[in-house]
Amino acid sequence: MSGNAYSTTSRGTGLPRRIWKHRTAYLFLLPALLLLGSIKYYPFFTAFAESLFDWNGVNVNHFIGLGNYKEMLTDEKIRVAFANVFKIAAATLAINLTLPMLVAWLVFRVKNRRLQNFLKLGFIVPLVVPMMVLILLWRWMYSGDFGLINQLLAHTGLAALKHSWLGDPATALWAIVFVGFPWVAGLPFLLYLAGLQSISEDLYEVADLEGAGPIRRFFSLELPLIANQVRLVLMYSLISAFQVFEAPFVLTNGGPGISTITPSLHIYDQAFNYSRFGYASAIGVVMFAVLIVLTVVVQKLVKNAETLD
Amino acid sequence: MKKGNIGINVAALLIFAVAMYPFFVMLAGSFKYQMQLFRNPWFFSAPFHFDNYAVAFGQISKPIANSVIVTGIGVLVTLLASSTAAYSFARHAYPFKNFFYGVIVMLLMIPGFVILVPQFINIKNMGMYNTIIGQALPPAASYTAMGVMLMRTFFEGISKSLYEAAEMEGAKDFRIFAGIVLPLSKPILATVAIMSGLQIWNNFVWSLVVTTGDKVKPVIIAITTIMGSINGGDGVKLAGYIIAAVPLLILFFAATKPFVSGLTQGAVKG
Repeated sequence: MSGNAYSTTSRGTGLPRRIWKHRTAYLFLLPALLLLGSIKYYPFFTAFAESLFDWNGVNVNHFIGLGNYKEMLTDEKIRVAFANVFKIAAATLAINLTLPMLVAWLVFRVKNRRLQNFLKLGFIVPLVVPMMVLILLWRWMYSGDFGLINQLLAHTGLAALKHSWLGDPATALWAIVFVGFPWVAGLPFLLYLAGLQSISEDLYEVADLEGAGPIRRFFSLELPLIANQVRLVLMYSLISAFQVFEAPFVLTNGGPGISTITPSLHIYDQAFNYSRFGYASAIGVVMFAVLIVLTVVVQKLVKNAETLD
Repeated sequence: MKKGNIGINVAALLIFAVAMYPFFVMLAGSFKYQMQLFRNPWFFSAPFHFDNYAVAFGQISKPIANSVIVTGIGVLVTLLASSTAAYSFARHAYPFKNFFYGVIVMLLMIPGFVILVPQFINIKNMGMYNTIIGQALPPAASYTAMGVMLMRTFFEGISKSLYEAAEMEGAKDFRIFAGIVLPLSKPILATVAIMSGLQIWNNFVWSLVVTTGDKVKPVIIAITTIMGSINGGDGVKLAGYIIAAVPLLILFFAATKPFVSGLTQGAVKG
């Protein structure tokens, strides 16, 4: 828009004048800034303050400095919770970096167009099914003697392995990770496939001329060219694994005992079952710090691997 | 050239069958009474009990209505906040522009659980506890960061000459935004609407803490407590799970393209 029309109303020079000139632009920013400011950033900053208080959300509200953080050092649940998410994150990474890539690679190499389109769509559809439905379905499959998984074992002559998968501290965490087996139909698949599809045909012709077999072609051509997608999957898997809540909440609620507790479950439990809002905020702050550090470390590692190439 | 062969087709189809089998069992089981589920959970078996669906729907029809309203409001808020901010970033150069953009996009770096507790207190203090709006606003705000990112890129791709022509005719920002930019941006609006809708519909944790009782309970919470009937047993639960997924599946098949591009773009930008 033309600024001249408003020059009579704008006072001063320099910055205030330029801001006034662009007031419509700021006006357009207002809805987003108000929404994010009031709903997200205000709570985000109060999280740090609240973590320094002994607070039940209503009337008790004492400043206790780093008391909450000190308590976390001796909280057995914190130790188990972080150990659990490290295990879950490691398993999720191992899964998401292999199986969906294998399937994306297979689907990419299916020659028949109609079969390929069918498989593409087929492996994407489960993404649309609510995560909670998948979790509840698996809860049903795990349940009791007549649960699908125990029946499958009985039918295949492995009745001796029948087990209360979610009820045994030794297997509960892995039973949670196992939800969604064979873990191929999801966002990682979609990303890998999109990456593979964007590789130019010319490169394949060069690879063919050099007589590279499918295995060599994968490691020296396809994998390096979908490095971006791999990095994305890495970060996405890590961040979602560290916040895992729904599956342990519905399947075990952290049990048996505290064997499947996670930091998210602990936050929820402390805040909404014990009304310890200060302590719950402190756990959130630590979780944030852990995630930031991990993000930086992973970014560094991935970058280093790249320059080594 | 790509080569395909039988081995690859068979391997891909086999993995597909394994991946789909739990969903198939869910579908087959949703038509069964409990005794049929005990005898044969593996495949369809007659008779088909469509009444499982009636029983399940009776239990979750009100939560479905709640979820539809919450999602609708959430999507509208996301679209409004994202499109206006994205327009501002795409069309204007002004002081602190990059700062404001940074502030909005930075939200993507903050894990939801870090602010769960203070956000709960905040919403409660604003009088939105156990309300539709209290459920809709936080996830809508969360997706706004992504929405601004995707829309800004799209708006910047709109031909400059269109803007210039409009300015020559003396059109102001509001008219350019509503009359030119929005109508040209249907694909990206659809993508953002679908992605935010998916996230709001599936948002479990926030609804769990901010609602209580049946008043505004969303379907994602309601399906966790579906009760089996005397005959239907778990068949009713499975039917309920399917009902909860159907609206999203319909949306997916009606708008596959914006859906898929939303899923990939969302991840790539994030």
